[in-house]
Amino acid sequence: MTDLTLATLLPALESRFGPDVKVLPSRKEVLGVVQVKGERLVEVARFLHDQGTFTHCALVSGVDWIEHIEVLYHLWSDALKGYLELTVETAPEEPHVPSVTSVWRGANWHERETWDMLGVRFDGHPDLRRVLMPEGYRFHPLRKSFELHEPEELEVKARHV
Amino acid sequence: MSEMWINMGPQHPMTHGLWNLRVKVDGELIVDADPEIGYLHRGIEKICEYRRYNEVVTLMDRTCYVAGIAWEQLYIMAAEEALNINPPPRAEYVRVLSQELQRLSSHVMWYAAYVQDIGLMTPFLYGMRDRDLILDLFQSYTGARMTYEFMRVGGVRNDVPVGFTDRCRKVMDWFDQRLPEYEKVCDNSTIFLERTKGIGVLKAADCVNDGVTGPMLRAAGVDRDLRRDRPYSVYPELDFDVAVYDAPDCYGRYRVRMEEMKQSVRIVRQVLDWLDRNPGPVLAEKVPRFVGTPSPPPGKEIYVERRGYPKGRGFSAMEEPHGEAMAYIINEGAEHPYRAKLRSPVFVNIAASKDYLVGYRVSDIPAIMGSVDICVGESDR
Amino acid sequence: MNATNTSGTARIITHVKETDPMEPEVPFAEVEAVQSKEYIPVIKETLTGMIQRGLDAATKPVFNWAGRNSLFPLHWGLACCAIEFAAGFGARWDGERFGVVPRSSPRQCDLLIVNGTVTWKLSHKLITLWEQMPEPKWAIAMGNCATGGGPFRTAYSVVPGVNKLIPVDVYIAGCPPRPEAMLDGILRLERLIRERRA
Ligand code: SF4
Repeated sequence: MTDLTLATLLPALESRFGPDVKVLPSRKEVLGVVQVKGERLVEVARFLHDQGTFTHCALVSGVDWIEHIEVLYHLWSDALKGYLELTVETAPEEPHVPSVTSVWRGANWHERETWDMLGVRFDGHPDLRRVLMPEGYRFHPLRKSFELHEPEELEVKARHV
Repeated sequence: MSEMWINMGPQHPMTHGLWNLRVKVDGELIVDADPEIGYLHRGIEKICEYRRYNEVVTLMDRTCYVAGIAWEQLYIMAAEEALNINPPPRAEYVRVLSQELQRLSSHVMWYAAYVQDIGLMTPFLYGMRDRDLILDLFQSYTGARMTYEFMRVGGVRNDVPVGFTDRCRKVMDWFDQRLPEYEKVCDNSTIFLERTKGIGVLKAADCVNDGVTGPMLRAAGVDRDLRRDRPYSVYPELDFDVAVYDAPDCYGRYRVRMEEMKQSVRIVRQVLDWLDRNPGPVLAEKVPRFVGTPSPPPGKEIYVERRGYPKGRGFSAMEEPHGEAMAYIINEGAEHPYRAKLRSPVFVNIAASKDYLVGYRVSDIPAIMGSVDICVGESDR
Repeated sequence: MNATNTSGTARIITHVKETDPMEPEVPFAEVEAVQSKEYIPVIKETLTGMIQRGLDAATKPVFNWAGRNSLFPLHWGLACCAIEFAAGFGARWDGERFGVVPRSSPRQCDLLIVNGTVTWKLSHKLITLWEQMPEPKWAIAMGNCATGGGPFRTAYSVVPGVNKLIPVDVYIAGCPPRPEAMLDGILRLERLIRERRA
């Protein structure tokens, strides 16, 4: 697709997936922000990869908003020279979204890291292990319920338990 | 012969920084690889949520310790988006100057460490000596050799000192002479050529699908450089070429880095000329107090009130010496970032290591992994 | 058998009898034999002790002199401070003029310079490396992270100070310490060794 522009891509996305995608107001440093329902994520990803020239999955990350967890994808397109932001919302208890590793292999470790740090399960991920923290660690540190303390404070606490 | 797993690391002379490469070998041949990182995970993203905006800069220096100022700017660009602040132009030029000096020093450091691993000792001494010249320049205007804490939301901490541009030009002249010499050392060495040519091949399509960026990607022939393709700061006003090479192996990566060093010298010269011509402030005036700027001069209390400051999100991407780095900052109108996410290029480049290790021999591993230019602080954060 | 007014050996036997009545009683003759030979190990120990002390007195200054002038640190890099560590052995500072040569295997080293942040994930490996080093050995905590956690002391994954894991002889402050500071730390350790305080 040589004549691909954002003005044609986003409506095409909306018309194809109907109410499952929502184009949110964009910010100036990204091409656009698209909210996707978790169930259709892989299809949307496949569409963007094949038809939208978003061949490079730059970043998968997550934000804990307490009421829900938001998983973010930043995709780079060589033709459009910019990043598209996909956001997926999921429940804070047992959060899970489908894995996009079948579309972009590069998402593999990003998803592992998001599982490690936020506890989001990626269904269909080939090898969902912790990547930064040791295996067997019990917490997901980037959750807002996980707090940091001075080490002395922790020692005092441990003594009183 | 039966296959077996070998651990290389965490402490291994090949690994600069601590990470563990588990390789499955059949005799000498590598059939599978499973890198394990996290030995330097310091919880930077979590600590950011407990720090004021300007205090985070301290952590960014330590994130990638061979390219500290690149990460400072990355974070600052995202934070400025999130807080909606614009720095003055001179600050941008000082930033770009720091960027390119840092790229130069990072690549020289890579050259020193890598070629020594391959078996030539001289480049280590050459590289460390010349890197110290750049660190001296840094020291003269930031006060530190590696951990600068130089950038601020809305500009930079201070201007370059008097006479700096001339000193910097002298160092650049020195590098003009040195860089061909660096290449001569390697290109005339049969050991170096034998150990790098055709080793560690990762084709362009695999690179793109694996998310590999930086010199590795450009060595595979993909012409992508965020400085040109998604311009940030004042890069559009500068004149430079993107280094691309069409050999996706260790030798190609070495070539790309060598070319990038020359381009950095070129950019630094242009920036120095601009700095000579255009004096001005280097810190924006309207910066909310809560980001932690130094207290205002008397009679200049024009700071925005802290409460009810607009919320926002900031995203920035830049071409760091190792590849494409990204930062994502969420500002919830509070003193601290609500969430700070960093994308490290090295993290992804290590993740793809299975694709460029399988099929080579165990003795090639130092040559291959060295050519990735691994900075563990950055991949583990 | 009464426990209060007999020799040490007999008391042990009583003790065994009290706790485990099923245990057969040790014949008295055997106890006698053990007691009669007790002096042999004592003499042996005294003799070896004297020889050892004599040899020590003769050789210790030599070993001390040799050891302190050729401290071989382990060549590893933990974090940012490792870059300054490398710079300290580069062209400008040339740490090797003090006889300090980084070695790659812990078996060849007698100095562990902890040059960076130690995480809990790494702590087992650090202790293993430390235990693999032959005696006598020393440790230097280089930088604020190794000293007390540095900027990351509140983080969930960082050991707040490497002295929680291994005994440290010299602490070097700085974030990162300059190469001069690192070399100064090594020289201070040399002085401590000379004065037999480390
Ligand atoms: S003391 Fe500072 S420079 Fe050294 S490892 Fe810690 S953070 Fe890095």
